Amino acid sequence: MGIKQKLQSIFLVNDEQSDTPPTLPDNQQEANLTGGEPVTLQHILDQFDDSADFIHKTYQSEHLDVLYFSHLVNEDRLERDVLPPLLNAESPVDILSEQSKYVRVTNAKKCVEGILSGMAAIFCQEQAYLIDVIFPVSRTVAESETESIIVGPHEAFTEQAYTNLSLIRKRVQSSHLKVIQLSVGEVTKTSVYILYVEDIANEKYIKEVINRIKNIEIDAVHDTNMLIQCIDDDPYSIFAQFLTTERPDTIASKLVSGRIVGIMDGSPTAFSAPVNFFEFFSSSDDYYQRWSIGTATLFLRFAALIITVTLTALYVAVTSFHYEMVPQNLLLTLTESRSKVPFPPIIEALLMEMTIELLREAGARLPTKIGQTIGIVGGIVIGQAAVQAGLTSNILIISVASSAIASFVIPNYVMSAAFRLFRFGLIIMAGLWGNLGLAMGLAYIVIHLSGLTSLGSSYLTPVAPFEPYDWKDVFLRLPFSKLVKRPTQVKANNKVKLKMKR
Amino acid sequence: MNEKLSQFHTAILIYMIQTGVYVFSFTQIEAKYFGTNGWLVMIPVSILVSLNIYEMYWVYRLGNGQSIFDILEKSIPKFILAPFYMILSTIWALIGCLVAKQYVLIFQMFAFPTTNPMVFKIAIDILAFILLTKGLYNISKASTIFFWCTIWLSFLLLYFVGDFRTERLTPYIFKESYNMTEGFFQIYLAYMGYELCLLLFPYTDKKTRLFRAVIHGHLLRSVSYIILGLVSFGVVGYDMLKVMMFPSLDLLAYIKLPFMERIENLFYGFFLFTTLITLVLYFWAAGESTRRIFPKIKLNVQYFVIILAALLISYIPTVLDTIREWILILGYFQIGFSYIMPLILILLLLWQRRKKAV
Repeated sequence: MGIKQKLQSIFLVNDEQSDTPPTLPDNQQEANLTGGEPVTLQHILDQFDDSADFIHKTYQSEHLDVLYFSHLVNEDRLERDVLPPLLNAESPVDILSEQSKYVRVTNAKKCVEGILSGMAAIFCQEQAYLIDVIFPVSRTVAESETESIIVGPHEAFTEQAYTNLSLIRKRVQSSHLKVIQLSVGEVTKTSVYILYVEDIANEKYIKEVINRIKNIEIDAVHDTNMLIQCIDDDPYSIFAQFLTTERPDTIASKLVSGRIVGIMDGSPTAFSAPVNFFEFFSSSDDYYQRWSIGTATLFLRFAALIITVTLTALYVAVTSFHYEMVPQNLLLTLTESRSKVPFPPIIEALLMEMTIELLREAGARLPTKIGQTIGIVGGIVIGQAAVQAGLTSNILIISVASSAIASFVIPNYVMSAAFRLFRFGLIIMAGLWGNLGLAMGLAYIVIHLSGLTSLGSSYLTPVAPFEPYDWKDVFLRLPFSKLVKRPTQVKANNKVKLKMKR
Repeated sequence: MNEKLSQFHTAILIYMIQTGVYVFSFTQIEAKYFGTNGWLVMIPVSILVSLNIYEMYWVYRLGNGQSIFDILEKSIPKFILAPFYMILSTIWALIGCLVAKQYVLIFQMFAFPTTNPMVFKIAIDILAFILLTKGLYNISKASTIFFWCTIWLSFLLLYFVGDFRTERLTPYIFKESYNMTEGFFQIYLAYMGYELCLLLFPYTDKKTRLFRAVIHGHLLRSVSYIILGLVSFGVVGYDMLKVMMFPSLDLLAYIKLPFMERIENLFYGFFLFTTLITLVLYFWAAGESTRRIFPKIKLNVQYFVIILAALLISYIPTVLDTIREWILILGYFQIGFSYIMPLILILLLLWQRRKKAV
C-alpha cells in the first residue's frame, strides 16, 4: 500500500463497505462437500503410513478390511459384537448396507476424519463403512478445584466432552436442549459443542456464536479459555467477554436462563454467553443459601471488588500527597510505622504487591504440600521480617494483604486476575498524582468497560442499559418468588420463568 | 451506530452535562449577588430553563426529530453555514477545554501546588479522547456508571442535619443583594449543558421520549442544587458563604469519618467523572458540527484535532479568574445560542412546511 493510500485510510471515511467475506457460490460449495477424492483402501493406507499405532486387519476369505486406531476404539466391542456377524454372514455387504450403525462413506477425507475421531472403517468390496466404537479415555468426574462451593453439587466437568454432555443432559432433561457440533483447529479438528434450549435462547445469539466459531482459522485450540479468546468481541480487552466455569449446575442454570453454552473436547471448562460484568461476581452458592445470606454475600463480593482495586492505591495516594486526610489519632500510628521506611510509598507498595503476586504464582504452580511451606515462609517474610527490617510499614502490609484476600473473594479467577493487574496501574497512578490519579484510573476502567460488548450486547447490563428489574438478581438475591423473569440481556423468547404464587 | 439512547440514559446524560465544577462555587455566587436566602433564586432560573427546553421541544416536534443540521441545510446554503458551524464548534470546544482546565486548577490549588496543571489537563484530554472514540451510546453508558459513582455523595449532606439552623437562613429574601441581573446570568450558567439536547435528535427515537428525559435530568439537577443551596445557607450562613471561594468543598472538608477526614480531597476526585462527561459532550458537540463541514474526514481524526486545538488554547489562561471570565463570555454566547437557535429553527421549519404545502 502506498503512503498516500495509507494516510487516506487513517484520515478519510471509508466509503466501500467490505464487511461480507467473499463466499463461494452455493453449487461450488456443494461440489466440494460431495466430491473430493473417492475412498479406496489404498488411499486410506497411504494416509496412515508411518503410523505405528494404526491397525489394519485383513480377512481374506470374506474380503473384509478393518482399519482403526487401537487406543481410540473399544477393541473388545469390535471383536465381540461387530465383527463376528460380518465374518459369519454369507454376504457381509448386505449387513453393512442394511444396518444403520454402519455408515457408508464415499469421500476419502470424511473417512480419514472418522478414523481419527475413533471410528473403525470397514472395507468390503470396494465400499467403505464407518462404525462408531469410540472408547473415550478420561479421568472420572471429580470435584472442581477452582470453583469449590460449600452447599450444593460438587461435580465438575472433565476433559471428555461426552461426559460433560451427559452431566448437562442429566440436569436439563428436556428435548428442547439442542446440541450443535462444530470443529475447530485446522490441524487438531477439536470438537466444539454449542448447547442451547430451544424456544428460550435467542436465535440471533446462537447464530452469532456459531458463525464466530466457524470463522476461526487457527491450527489448534487447546482449551475453552483459548477458544473464547478467538471469538471475543474485543480481543484486546483485559476482561473476558464469555463466562467460563467448570460447574455443570452453573451451566444448567445458564442454559435455562436462555444463554448459549459451549463445551469443547479436551477442556474441563464450559463457556456461556452473553455475559455481563456483574455476572462474574455471582456464584451458584448464592442460590443454594437462604436469600438473605446470598444477598449479603453479594454485597461482600462487591465490597471486595472496591477494596482490591482501591485500598493499596488509596494508601499510596494518602501517604504520598494527602496526609491531611488521616485523622489525628491514626496519624501517630501511621507516621510511627512509616518512620523507619526508607522508600517512598509507591516503591514500598509495589514491592509488597509484587511479593504477594510472586507468592500466589509460586503457590499455584506447586503441589499442595510444598504450597503450604510457601505460605508459611511467605507469611513470615512478609508479616514479620519485612517490617522488622524496616523495609515496609505495618499498615501497608495490612492493606496489601487485605486487598489480596479481597481479590480472591471474586469467584471468577479470570476476573480477579484482571483486577489484580489493574491494581498495579492504579497504584502507579496514585503514586504519581494522588487522588486525582486514582480517579483517572477508575475513570479509565469505567470508560473501557462501557465500550465492551458480549456477543454485541452491552457488557454493563443491567446498569447501562438500565434494567432495574434485573437488579433483583444481580446486586441482590431476592427470594425466588420475586425473580419471575429471565434476565433482559439474553433477550429470551420466553421471558417468564416462574409461575408459582408463593 | 444502531442503538438509540434510552430515556433513562438521556436523563442521566443531561444531568451529568449540567453537573460540573460549578457545584462547588454556586452557593458563593448566590450569597454574593442575592444575599439572604439566595438559594431561592435557583427556582426561577430552573423554571426559565424549563421554558427554554419547552422551546426546543417544539423544534423536535415540528421537525419530527430530524437533526438540526439537516433543518438548517435544507434552507440555507452551505457556504453560509460552514463558518457558522466553525464558530459553533470553536465555542463548544473551548467550553469543553476550559471546564477541564478549571477542574484541574482547582485540584492543583489544594493538592498539588507545585505541579504543572497542564500535565493533568493532557491526561484528562486523553481520557476524553478514548471515551469520545466509543461513540455517543457508549458515552451515555459511561455517564450512567459515573452517575452511580457520584450520586451517593448527596447523602453526605445528611451529615449536616445536626448543624442545620433555621436562624441562619434569616426571614429575609434577597436582602443585601447586589447586581442581581449579573448574578442571574451567572446562576444561569450553572444549568448550562442542557442545550446540547438539540444535537441528540438523530440519536433518539420515539421510545426515548427525549424531552421528558431532558426535563427529568434537569429537574434532578435543580433539586440537587436547591437542596445543596439550602443546606449551605442553613449550615454556613450567607455572610460566611460570601467570602468562601468553594463553599461546597469546605462543607465536604468539614465531614469527619472515623478513619478518614478532609474527604473533599478524595471526593473532589470523584467529580472528575462528572467533569469528564461535561467536557466529552462539548467536544462531541464540536465534532458533530465539524463533521458537517468535513464529511470525508474520519470522525476520530476530527475529535483528535479538536481536542489538540483546544488543548493548545487552554495553555493561554493560567489562573482561575481568567478562566472564569472566559467561561462567562462563552457562557453568554451559549445562552444566546440556546434561545435564538431554536427560534430560528422553528421559523425555518414553519417556512419549510408552508413551502411544502404550496
